[in-house]
Amino acid sequence: MEMSKVNADNRAVIEDLSISFPRPGDEDLLVVEAVSFTVGVGEFVAVVGPSGCGKSTILRVLSGLLSANGGTVLIDGQEVSQTPDHVGFMFQKDALLPWATIDENITIGAELGGVPLEDRPALVASLIDMLGLAGFEKAYPKNLSGGMRQRVSLGRLLAYQPTLMLMDEPFGALDYQTKIRMGRELLRIWEAERRSIIFVTHDIEEAIRLADRIVVFSARPARVAAEYIVNLSRPRNLSEMRGNAEFNRLTHAIWSDLSMPT
Amino acid sequence: MASVDKVTPMPPGRVRLGSIMPLSSVAARRLILFFALVAAWEFTAEFLVNEFWSSRPSEIVMRLFSMLVDGTLWRHTSITVLEAFAGLLLGAVVGTPLGIWLANAPKASETADPFIMGLYGLPRVALAPLFILWFGIGLLSKIMMSFTMVVFVFLLNSREGVRTVDPDLVDLMRSMRAKSLYRARKVLIPAIVPWILASFRLGIGLSLIGAVVGELVGSSRGLGWYIQNAGGMLDTTGVFTGLVVLMVIAMLANQMIALVEARVLRWR
Repeated sequence: MEMSKVNADNRAVIEDLSISFPRPGDEDLLVVEAVSFTVGVGEFVAVVGPSGCGKSTILRVLSGLLSANGGTVLIDGQEVSQTPDHVGFMFQKDALLPWATIDENITIGAELGGVPLEDRPALVASLIDMLGLAGFEKAYPKNLSGGMRQRVSLGRLLAYQPTLMLMDEPFGALDYQTKIRMGRELLRIWEAERRSIIFVTHDIEEAIRLADRIVVFSARPARVAAEYIVNLSRPRNLSEMRGNAEFNRLTHAIWSDLSMPT
Repeated sequence: MASVDKVTPMPPGRVRLGSIMPLSSVAARRLILFFALVAAWEFTAEFLVNEFWSSRPSEIVMRLFSMLVDGTLWRHTSITVLEAFAGLLLGAVVGTPLGIWLANAPKASETADPFIMGLYGLPRVALAPLFILWFGIGLLSKIMMSFTMVVFVFLLNSREGVRTVDPDLVDLMRSMRAKSLYRARKVLIPAIVPWILASFRLGIGLSLIGAVVGELVGSSRGLGWYIQNAGGMLDTTGVFTGLVVLMVIAMLANQMIALVEARVLRWR
């Protein structure tokens, strides 16, 4: 593989990315301006920024659902023009097929991820087990709570065998406790499998709790306002973390970045 | 955390009289309504209105029985059901793909819209004389009549169904590199199945109208013909018997669709 421009340790390289949307009868709306950052192999990167700043838009470009106006996006050294291979997406909305059972919804991930037919049932069963969905295999999404639906959504994402997971406020619609628990489970899975993650959130505490590195975006048009490495040992415990000096330093720094005028 | 359907248990140790045929059950209430209406009709014919005008249920039952015995019931019912069913099916087969196509071709849809709505608004029963001319007085003209009655229902419903597909589902599929055929199979078709079933529900009555109107204008068989023939002979019992049979067909067909819905739409 051609790796000239790219550090071999990078899963994704976003360079000088600009995105704007055409508006009828008005000049184009600039949503993302000259954004650059990288995601290492097996790295957990959180993207924090004010609501509506264009965080989600960047993920859509990374997954090939949207094309950028300027700059380059490389995934595993390949420029993204169409939907790249093994880049999985998870939305704030579960986006489960309402007419498919939990089993079938997760199987779709395995099927599209190229898992051989004979290996799918075992893979799906192990994911269902791991995500605490046992007993709900034949249930339909309408019978599940919001938290469980997001587990299924995560199961489908993992079944797809992604090397890069794009997560767009995946726990944003959940209640606080469920959100904490889901975050913990995500970390457990990530620590076992080490897939790269870009995790978009507007919850600073969540970002610090989960990520190796945090990229802070400004209000629209999104620019990289700051980048922080989270120097907190894992596993991270929420109650211990709250008294930690590094945690407080990061929280304050990111807070002031976000309230900074643009 | 999970909210799986729960069954509320019956309080133990008590068997109420109503538990055999509870009044609260829909079937029981329907049966009561049916008998009340029949009784009111019979009473009216006995004491208030000459049965020449509105016949009476007992006469209709006797007519049904004699028609069943001499084979005329089957002779007329079978042909009308065939016409309506063929028209309904043809309408589904033509209308649904057209609707899907229009939903995916906004320009074409926009262009054709006023014309579609014009044809849809046209009282299509008025086409019957023309259809007799074009397709003869046989089966085909009636099938085409019932087809024109239902095709727009399928077209408009499936177009609307495709338009209301959750774009997030499509995006998610695309993010996992699902091919368009796969997306159609997993997202588009399941999403419009409820709309197609609803079209069948609406289409049952309309396809019967098409078949009967076709028969009224020119035919020698079918419930429409039977009703018109009876009317011509001032045989109100005959007219009402034909109407009752049509109503029963519509009700049975509706029940069948309801059964299909209960099986296919369990996820709702």
